[in-house]
Amino acid sequence: MTAPGVQLSLDGIRKSFPGKGGPVPVLDGLSFDIYERDFVSIIGPSGCGKTTVFNVIAGLLEPDSGTMTFRGEVVPGLQGRVGYMMQKDLLFPWRTVLQNVMLGLEMKGVDRAQALDTAREYLSTFGLSGFENAYPKMLSGGMRQRTALIRTLIMDPDILLLDEPFSALDYQTRLYLEGVLLDAVETFHKTVVLVTHDIDEAVALSKRVVVLGNRPTKVKSVHKIGLDARSPIGARSDPRFSDYFQTLCGELEIQTRQRAA
Amino acid sequence: MATHTLKTSEALKTSKNLKSSSPASTRPTRQPAARPRVKPSAFARGADTTLGRGIIQLLAVAVFFLAWEGAVRAGWLTEFLVGAPSGIWRVFLASMLDGSLPVDTWYTVIEAIIGFLIGTLVGSLAGLGLWYSAFVARLVEPFIVAINSVPKIALAPIVILWFGTGFVSKVALAVSLTALVALIAAYQAARDADPDLQALLASMGASKNRIFKSVIVPSTLPAIIGMFRINIGFALVGAVVGEFISSQRGLGHLIYSASSLYDLNTVWVGLFVLMFVGFLLYHVIDFAERRILPWRQITTAGQVQV
Repeated sequence: MTAPGVQLSLDGIRKSFPGKGGPVPVLDGLSFDIYERDFVSIIGPSGCGKTTVFNVIAGLLEPDSGTMTFRGEVVPGLQGRVGYMMQKDLLFPWRTVLQNVMLGLEMKGVDRAQALDTAREYLSTFGLSGFENAYPKMLSGGMRQRTALIRTLIMDPDILLLDEPFSALDYQTRLYLEGVLLDAVETFHKTVVLVTHDIDEAVALSKRVVVLGNRPTKVKSVHKIGLDARSPIGARSDPRFSDYFQTLCGELEIQTRQRAA
Repeated sequence: MATHTLKTSEALKTSKNLKSSSPASTRPTRQPAARPRVKPSAFARGADTTLGRGIIQLLAVAVFFLAWEGAVRAGWLTEFLVGAPSGIWRVFLASMLDGSLPVDTWYTVIEAIIGFLIGTLVGSLAGLGLWYSAFVARLVEPFIVAINSVPKIALAPIVILWFGTGFVSKVALAVSLTALVALIAAYQAARDADPDLQALLASMGASKNRIFKSVIVPSTLPAIIGMFRINIGFALVGAVVGEFISSQRGLGHLIYSASSLYDLNTVWVGLFVLMFVGFLLYHVIDFAERRILPWRQITTAGQVQV
């Protein structure tokens, strides 16, 4: 496999938050690369600033120092270029499913009739036809998260930023949505950055896993995942799956021991 | 009112259904004291409909007035001090026929509605506007708290001095009562708007104005419309108190001048008309709420509301 080009490169990102006794450093010179059409998972001990990394990439937080380079061009953040998805579905309760899906297109200023067509098409692709006029309150958790995924994909972002998108769902729904996500990423040729606390999910979905250390956070290691199966269930039954799983668990476990000592 | 009781009763029914269909394994822990579930009697089921409740409510009102009338006739109460329903009815008919009651009602209602509209609109816009700048919001907060802690009724004499004894002073008093309530409610709601929804829009490259329009306004609407209910009452208070102090017309004028003449029946006419007006306006807002916020009306079948 030839090495694909670097799409986004983080270099020496530092970020601290004001605390009681002066600033608390959270990110301490974070550097890693994301390739074109990559699927990178970011895992790390809880409270290590995974979500902060995510917000910096999304352009919602400004790093104290360090640079981000997007396709060879230094950028302050990727506002408008990323699709953003969180554990909370973040659907607008006062908008119907259709209106929620169209949100990103509205922000981009896409013509309304065209946006309607696109939204209907996506909804039928993802099996949500017939729910166009339902309000999010009326849907199940899995359907809500699927709607959120459609809303993210329909904007045609360069990078999908997913912050534990499935962790609030039950296991079957999660497996199903992981499959939907992988298919969608294949079809639409997307780059994905997935923040998760779930090693199992990280191994099953990713091409590469970035392990973060304790706060103040640096990149501890980057693992390439070479599973052939491109389905969440197939990947989990791959004989090498448990090796990767053990390795990553080991990385995180060492840190918990250090913290305990 | 009717819709609210309807909702709760339906919710209670669903919660009962849910309990009875809950899996056996959860039952012992959930219901340690296994109360025998009594099915509602045929009478209770028949009564718990819009019509059934309406009949019971009317009966309650009828019994109240009959008891009042009976007590006055029997000499247990003196009509001079408490009035009597028959006397109230006579005054009501007479003042309706000579046209004075509709005119008084009209004055009070218009004063209250105009005061409500101005106060609520200005207050809500200012409250929402404070969302734009945390600096300005923090700057003005102590002043808002200070002004709000003054009982606005205490401003009435000044308002009469500034705006005269006519129509304008009553509207001004209603505005002074409603504006700060609206401002605080709107600002609070804007501050409570989900920050993650705002972050989502920001990640899409939305401007601050866009976030205001797409997140702040819709998510504050329920609180703002909820505040309308409180403010319509405050606007009526403003109008009536203004009329108490100095006026030629209005329900407040009617009540005040009648009470100084110990004409209790006329006082009651004024009070009952005020009650009716408040009731009506409350339902107008209820209706508006259902129209403006259709997404709030949905309750899923499995939802338990206790």
